[in-house]
Amino acid sequence: MARVIVIASGKGGTGKTTITANIGIALAKAGKKVLLVDADVAMANLSLILGMQSSPITLHDVLLGESQVHDAIYDGPNGIHFIPSGLSLDNYKRVDSERLGGIIASIQDQYDYILLDAAAGIEKNVLSALSAAQETLLVTMPTSPAIADALKTKIVAQRLGSKVIGVIINFVMDEKGEISKSECSSILELPVYGSIPYDSEVRKSFMQQRVLPVVVRKPDSIAAKEMQKVALRLAGIQVSDKGGQKAKKGFFSKVTSIFRRNKK
Amino acid sequence: MFRRMAKKVASKVLDEDVKSNTNSQIDFLKDFLSKHNYVFSQDFEENLGILKKKHLVDDFVVTNFDGSVIVSSNGSGQSDGIMGTAMFSYIKSELPDSEAVLIKREEGWFMLFTLNKKVFVVRAGSDLSGIELRALALELSILMDENKESIKERKVA
Repeated sequence: MARVIVIASGKGGTGKTTITANIGIALAKAGKKVLLVDADVAMANLSLILGMQSSPITLHDVLLGESQVHDAIYDGPNGIHFIPSGLSLDNYKRVDSERLGGIIASIQDQYDYILLDAAAGIEKNVLSALSAAQETLLVTMPTSPAIADALKTKIVAQRLGSKVIGVIINFVMDEKGEISKSECSSILELPVYGSIPYDSEVRKSFMQQRVLPVVVRKPDSIAAKEMQKVALRLAGIQVSDKGGQKAKKGFFSKVTSIFRRNKK
Repeated sequence: MFRRMAKKVASKVLDEDVKSNTNSQIDFLKDFLSKHNYVFSQDFEENLGILKKKHLVDDFVVTNFDGSVIVSSNGSGQSDGIMGTAMFSYIKSELPDSEAVLIKREEGWFMLFTLNKKVFVVRAGSDLSGIELRALALELSILMDENKESIKERKVA
């Protein structure tokens, strides 16, 4: 029976979709059977990140009762399976997202992990995704507005009976004024599954002729490595933090990181 | 001149324009979460109040399909219970696959939801989605199961 985990944040632009795609692929690389679902029925873009935008049957069709769920499952990179959401605005207005839970339950026994990419906000579509998953993984940035929205999402998820298992901090730049990993964990009262540094390789992945998530295109980049660690933690595999981005910096690397930061 | 330049470089390198003032924000966020920390007690009545707060509703009544009230968060709940059950039964007879009924009133929403052969009558300032009504009904059902004895005692009294 699959662990159904929704990746949510409350705030838009925190990198939920990118993280969903990358940790899904990383889990598949670790030998797990993974299904990714674009549960953002209004603003779907997981298919764009996976480079699979031309899928004829989508979650919209399944939610409308016009197609079977198996017809909307596609093969993605590195052996993952993927259910895209439609881009049609007409269908978006017609779909009943409350049916998502039943659809996920009907295929739960075929996977090890089902990851749902939720929309931003706490509107009906997000509630459907939160309620369809037994577990919620929050994504935030190390800033107070993003953490405030993650907090609200945590409260809503708990109200709907989803267990909030942890938080991923994205776009970490080690800047003065950023909320630290330990403070983040303390505010949200959750363990930190990963602290993903800002890495231009993630952005570059969308700009290639063939779009591929960074864990496939540049698996040795700092963000890809951290996302792979998140996947391993999710799979219950112990991960050492040594040797990663957060390893103790020497004086010289501290000074060069200050200059790099100013360049951004 | 040199001094001014050195100061400018130093402030740039040390990010002096960024005034770190996160402590008050962290305190604010921690305080916000603590207000939403719903810890259930041993007291059934108190837990009904906690459920109201958690699910953002004003009141709820749980009835059997014959209109008899099982639990109410506001007094006997008799009139809401009877009206809600009658209304839901009528709608069910016309539209048998109905799961929920939502009525907009001047002073808020009156919502009916059915689960495990019980009708959940909910009053709230804003409408709840089917998912939210189900979540409330599920949590109430668990609470009622855990407190069968005290519900019986309340009825006897």
